[in-house]
Amino acid sequence: MSTTSMFGGAAAGSLAFDRLVFGVEKAPTRSATNEDPIEARAIAAVKAGDAASYDYLVSKYMKRVVSIAWGVVRNAADAEDLAQEAFVKAFESIGRFKTGEPFGPWIYRIVTNLGLDVMKHRKRFRHEEITDAAPAERRDRTDLPAISNELAARIDSGIESLPEMQRLVARLYLVEELGHSEIAAITGLSEGTVRSHLSLARGKLKEKLADLHGGSND
Amino acid sequence: MIDDDNFLERLRADARQLRFEPDAMMSSRIAARVRERIAAEPQAGIAQILARWFRPAVASLATLALVATLGIQWAEQSHDTTTLDSMVPTQSVDISVGGDTFSVE
Repeated sequence: MSTTSMFGGAAAGSLAFDRLVFGVEKAPTRSATNEDPIEARAIAAVKAGDAASYDYLVSKYMKRVVSIAWGVVRNAADAEDLAQEAFVKAFESIGRFKTGEPFGPWIYRIVTNLGLDVMKHRKRFRHEEITDAAPAERRDRTDLPAISNELAARIDSGIESLPEMQRLVARLYLVEELGHSEIAAITGLSEGTVRSHLSLARGKLKEKLADLHGGSND
Repeated sequence: MIDDDNFLERLRADARQLRFEPDAMMSSRIAARVRERIAAEPQAGIAQILARWFRPAVASLATLALVATLGIQWAEQSHDTTTLDSMVPTQSVDISVGGDTFSVE
């Protein structure tokens, strides 16, 4: 299906269709209430059966959802599939979504859980012999032109060397710039556990990147 | 030496560039596939709408039926229960001792 057909024809006249442009994503709300009235109306319309209104939610959260997916699976093709799956899954269970709450943390949670499932599946069914070099296979730097400079590469490498949950929390905090409460909502961990993971990650990153930021772990 | 909070904040500023940005093509593909898959399940949508209405109604009716059954059963049981008063004979008993007859109630 082409982009034109995606946003044309049947979608015309749907709620907030004129706002369907990429790049409208704003920083996620930190409160538990939905501060975007268009988003709230779109959710209400989708719940009432207007599937076309879902376009607004897809376009608004597209970038962040793909980025979070990529952060977990580290592969553009898989991130694309995950993002697609997350949006479909969210649509299918929109009836259970609490009215008035922001859509962001919910869809981020769905895509994160899907990503973690993929990683578990990969670990379980990996036939190759696991070697020390195996984690490097997860990296797909050709997907990320930004990791072209030394600083970014060092930070990326530092985050990647962390244990799974510390890596996830560190990535959501450092790269996606989400707050503790948002990370807690996405991962299903308590805020205290998020802070604990972040503290452990900070210690390890400080050690690894001491020369970059002048830090030491003592 | 840099303190912990400053370290994280500086790292955060530098790590921002690690965010993956999908290009327009990828965004369009995802949006198109999502829309396609959503459109492919209209029957499921109707089923979901029906289920959304019927499930609570069926659950309410089932609860009412259960409460009614238990209520009737309890009422019947309490009606049949033999109380101590009901065991007391309502008629007097005549006892004859030495030719005299005594009536005991």
